[in-house]
Amino acid sequence: MSDIVLQIENLTKTYHLGKQPVKALTDLSLQVNKGEFIAIMGPSGSGKTTLLNVIGCIDKPTSGRVHLDGIEVANTPENKLYKIRQDKMGFIFQSFNLLPYLNARENVELPMESKVASKTERKKRASELLSIVGLSGRENHRPQRLSQGEQQRVAIARALANEPAIILADEPTGNLDSQNKREIIKLLANLNLTRGTTIIMVTHDSQVANHTERMLLLKNGKIVMEKEGLHVAKKQSRCPYCDASIKVGDENCSTCEKALFETDELFVK
Amino acid sequence: MGLVNRAVKNISRRKIRAALVIIALSISLSIMISIPAGLMANQETTNALTNNLSSTITDTSESISQALSQIDVTLSSRFAGFGFRQESSSSAGSPSGQMPPTGQGSDRYGGFGGGDIAGQFGGMSQAGTPMNASLYADINSIKNVATVAAVLEVSEGSKNQTLSMMGQSFSMQITDYIIKGVPLTSELINSYNVLPSNIVKGRNLQSGETGVVLLSQNNSAFFNAGVGDIVSILNVDFTVVGIYEPTSFSDNLVLYMSLLDAQTITDNTDYITSLRVFTTSSNTVDLVVEDIRTLHPEVTVTTGQERLNQLEFMQSRYDETLESAQASLASTQATAIQEIIVVVAATSLIVLFVMLYTVRERTKEIGTLKAIGFSNRTVMAQFILEGLLLSLIAGIVGVVIASFAAPTLSSLLLPSVSSSFGLAAGGGAGGSAVAAVSTVSLNVELVVAALGGAMVLGILGTLYPAWRAAKIRPAEAMRYE
Ligand SMILES: Nc1ncnc2c1ncn2[C@@H]1O[C@H](COP(=O)(O)OP(=O)(O)OP(=O)(O)O)[C@@H](O)[C@H]1O
Ligand SMILES: [Mg+2]
Repeated sequence: MSDIVLQIENLTKTYHLGKQPVKALTDLSLQVNKGEFIAIMGPSGSGKTTLLNVIGCIDKPTSGRVHLDGIEVANTPENKLYKIRQDKMGFIFQSFNLLPYLNARENVELPMESKVASKTERKKRASELLSIVGLSGRENHRPQRLSQGEQQRVAIARALANEPAIILADEPTGNLDSQNKREIIKLLANLNLTRGTTIIMVTHDSQVANHTERMLLLKNGKIVMEKEGLHVAKKQSRCPYCDASIKVGDENCSTCEKALFETDELFVK
Repeated sequence: MGLVNRAVKNISRRKIRAALVIIALSISLSIMISIPAGLMANQETTNALTNNLSSTITDTSESISQALSQIDVTLSSRFAGFGFRQESSSSAGSPSGQMPPTGQGSDRYGGFGGGDIAGQFGGMSQAGTPMNASLYADINSIKNVATVAAVLEVSEGSKNQTLSMMGQSFSMQITDYIIKGVPLTSELINSYNVLPSNIVKGRNLQSGETGVVLLSQNNSAFFNAGVGDIVSILNVDFTVVGIYEPTSFSDNLVLYMSLLDAQTITDNTDYITSLRVFTTSSNTVDLVVEDIRTLHPEVTVTTGQERLNQLEFMQSRYDETLESAQASLASTQATAIQEIIVVVAATSLIVLFVMLYTVRERTKEIGTLKAIGFSNRTVMAQFILEGLLLSLIAGIVGVVIASFAAPTLSSLLLPSVSSSFGLAAGGGAGGSAVAAVSTVSLNVELVVAALGGAMVLGILGTLYPAWRAAKIRPAEAMRYE
């Protein structure tokens, strides 16, 4: 039995726009184990971002419990939440959200600023993380000199900076072409496989979602469906298509020769 | 630390905006520096004038009260037709130059004891109108007159100086020294104060002496001569027997010698400029004055009492003028305060709007920083630091601007006190007062205060935007546009 990293019970989030209450999340319950790779799907306005925000301590729930790595988030006062974000969360955004006037390494250093005192230590760690996401040698490049895919890699390195309990990604591939999409999803999957990073990813793209191990479908603020993805097999080092054994980092299955991270045409059901 | 690094990078990222803020701020600051500098200069002028006038008045009143039983007899200037050669060589210059432009009472100053006081008006002296020595016998015979000293006083000057005052220019001769001849009789020397009493070096003149001179400290410096030295006065050699310290301002330039010597060297044989009448007591002064006026209606008679009255009148005029100068100084200060308030408000508003705009523009960036774990405090510090850096740079630029533009700026912004002083100072102190006003100077305290002020303005203008930044929700980072 795996450790539970996130336990959500009867979560409700109601926004008040003028007099009209908007129920973004209604009585939602969810349990996430350490090391899971989860995709949240659903139509626009179904509450995906809201759920991510509540998990990420960016929004407070209206009611319900959110137990995060041993902390009851719902009871944490507003002015302490930043500390939880800093320690437990790594955020990946659709539009990367890098600081344009800082280079790749400085962007990755940002979350460590108040956690790692030594400047040289921060630099060293940032460079390590950049090499993990495949950007060694690009440390001193500013975002505008990086491709979109590379920018998202920097953002992923930044999300990993404080070794978070959960990485939260809102449409991380939403801005990318198919090539970059594939690269990013592969990077996230491999991070999950090799480092055991827990990832919760919101996506509209069912092909992208299919590369996770657990797909949740949200509708009207509720989880209405749950499905297994291709990643379940990969976690057991098996090809999801022919069940032959594969290795982490493989592009194609050596037996059936199918692409392991095809995001354009692969998922047909 | 990363905060400073980011602040610098952010400022340099928007160079034109940063430059605009810096220019606006630094201009405001240089105005803020220039105004107090100008105020200080005005204040100093007022103080200098106040001190100058009050010491003059004190000096003069002291010397007058010493001599309440004395009467000075001179010829009023409208009888100035005595065919006297001294007029051209050493008169006190054009009347307009010597009379205070207050107008009223000016001929009283003219008759002020034949030069006793005239010296204070910018170093000019009026030697008085010469008169025939025969007056001496008439006045000496009046009842209650103890004795009469015939005095010849002649100013000598070399340089011509043109003074410009209140839009008019005056040409006048600067007096180098005043020759005062008094009869060196033992009676006068021993019993009456015809000679100065404060001998600081050497000795006083003695009865019957000739070819000797008693110098004031000023004279000693002018001739560069000490006791025992020979000085040449109007080409005649005199031995300096002593040096005295003047007890009144008007004595500063006066050198004493025997009446005969004075008459000879100035070519004024048998002429004198005034008679100093010593009455038997101060009670009989009025009687003697009446007798003199009956006997010789053409002469001007001045008693110590009258001089005191004149002095009081003069003092009240000065008081009035000083008051108005101070009032104008106060209104200048009020103007300055208003201007500074406007400048401070404008500057803070500039910083405020620019920083507000910056915060708006960077909403997503701030949201991101907060999402990845930055505290409200850090975000706020980041923005305050940026504002502080901007205003510090502006402060330095402002000091540089002010260091050469302060006089211009302060004269543009402040009504100058000097204009109201022209009136009070007209006679002579004016020259120095006008000069003082233009010396607006920057001192270290002012510069430090300006930099401090810049930072305060920077913080004032940044506080609200920084607070707004801190309040930005981390969810803004999620917004996708
Ligand atoms: N700050 C807010 N104030 C008011 N209403 C909000 C706010 N944020 C979200 N909502 C509302 O809550 C509901 C859920 O929004 P949410 O952003 O979670 O949807 P989503 O699933 O992320 O949609 P999308 O796929 O378009 O990103 C929507 O109806 C939205 O209008
Ligand atoms: Mg969304």
